[in-house]
Amino acid sequence: MSGSAIAFMAVSWMLVLGLTAWSFRRILRSPRR
Amino acid sequence: MSAGSNPHEAWGTRIGLILAMAGNAVGLGNFLRFPVQAAGNGGGSFMITYFIALLLLGIPLMWIEWGIGRHGGRYRKGHLPGMFAALWRHPAAKYLGVIGMVIPLVVMIYYTYIESWTLAFTVFSLTGDYWGRGTQAEMVAYLHSFQGIGGPAARVHAAWTPYAFFFVTLALNIWIISKGISGGVEKLARIGMPVLFVLAAVLAGVVVMLPAGPDGSTAWTGLNFIYAPDLSRLGEPRVWLASAGQIFFTLSVGMGSLQAYASYLSAKDDIALNGLATAATNETAEVVLGGSIAIPAAVVFFGVSGAMAVAQSGSFNLGFATMPVVFQQLPAGQLLGALWFGLLFFAGVTSSVAMLTPILAFFREEFGFRREPVAIAAGVVTLVFGLMHIAWLEHGFLDEWDYWAGTFGLVVLALIETVIFVWIFRPEQAWRSIHEGADIRIPAVFKFVMTVVTPAYLIVILTWWGWQDAWPILRMERVAVDSEFYVLLSRGIIVAFAVAFVVLVRIAWRRNGYDDRRGLVATTGREEVEEGL
Repeated sequence: MSGSAIAFMAVSWMLVLGLTAWSFRRILRSPRR
Repeated sequence: MSAGSNPHEAWGTRIGLILAMAGNAVGLGNFLRFPVQAAGNGGGSFMITYFIALLLLGIPLMWIEWGIGRHGGRYRKGHLPGMFAALWRHPAAKYLGVIGMVIPLVVMIYYTYIESWTLAFTVFSLTGDYWGRGTQAEMVAYLHSFQGIGGPAARVHAAWTPYAFFFVTLALNIWIISKGISGGVEKLARIGMPVLFVLAAVLAGVVVMLPAGPDGSTAWTGLNFIYAPDLSRLGEPRVWLASAGQIFFTLSVGMGSLQAYASYLSAKDDIALNGLATAATNETAEVVLGGSIAIPAAVVFFGVSGAMAVAQSGSFNLGFATMPVVFQQLPAGQLLGALWFGLLFFAGVTSSVAMLTPILAFFREEFGFRREPVAIAAGVVTLVFGLMHIAWLEHGFLDEWDYWAGTFGLVVLALIETVIFVWIFRPEQAWRSIHEGADIRIPAVFKFVMTVVTPAYLIVILTWWGWQDAWPILRMERVAVDSEFYVLLSRGIIVAFAVAFVVLVRIAWRRNGYDDRRGLVATTGREEVEEGL
């Protein structure tokens, strides 16, 4: 893989995985609401 | 969680709600359409425009639709005619909402048919039915024979085979829907979504570990094919439109089903964080898992140019022809094939069960019918019109519905609902409504985005598509002469659905004595109160 492709893939994955992890961490604090 | 649109209907748990919402969003588009779109539209450039569309269209529309749905739930409305009437005291509001009844019904009918292909190919994989057809051309012929394209001489299966799989798939959908929100849809999501993620992760793991193919390509070559940036393509409108279209398709916005699900929430339930979590879960399924299976596998076995040719020939050829060729060359290929098509089936069924929710809500709330008979009646309608798709697939019957309802219609509905919720209901009211019971504070810039940027973006997309695609399609410039009758018939049916729903909405409003100018009556639990907007 080229360096730029790795960079695009890394940023894309970090963005969606980070957002998913962050939102579920917040949700699990108050799972009933 | 308390009930909004019906005192007897509610989500069991917050996680169940999010899984069901994400299940609605995660569908065939995540695993078949996304990698093809990314690879064909400049790789990294597509990803830039994709994330811009996610931020300016996808996530704002997700909040808008959750907001419309929960607000409608306060008036016991799980359908868009009622939701729009609750937001806008004008006689036209309920009729504009009819678009949000036609689109999910139309999409449900043809989507269930496509879903039945995945069930069929799961069985064909397990039984090794297509084993021995080791080239792309042979598998395309096999797929076409199953679809009934090419005449009886080329037929591999009995003519009734696609009808049988469609019937089974539809029956399963109707059975789940008839069990209700927490007893059917939520239970399915709590089982189906983890299974879907596990299957996708296993397949992505297998693809990444594949040895180099005949020309030395590996899965990493395939990922490079998807992500290598061609920044020169950022200036092409086509790339921006493709990414915006993918965001609509993947998040299931502009459909009417997210709003219906959100109507089963109460005012004290969060929608800001839940909406964001739904979008994020869908994006993980799409970007991380969807991009790591079909295209990288195709690149390993066919090289970049071969994969490019397959991608350009359509998403279905990639999923239903190329992938089976790949599986035939792998150890435990039958099992892997079943995992792949099983993954697509789970992704499909968690989406299709959402599509009839607004239809069921309409007949239950406005005419007092029980859930089961309405579900069965909706199933019969889906069956009758689904049979037309099976019989006339080669005449572009499905393509016509997919374009007008599943592509263009989504953007039209998204624009209408944004104007009603943000402009007519007022930006301050909309913003306050989204933040009722919220666990997070949405950055204030999104108020400007929802008010100005999102509608402007939608208008640009509609204008461009109207000029580039809709007009030539409407004029049937690309339709073969012997298919013109079927294309006109397919359009006539969509119009007939719209007319039927307009009449039904009118009857419902008269029957229930709704006064458009005074507004609907809000409810708080079972206690009804008169409330101004």
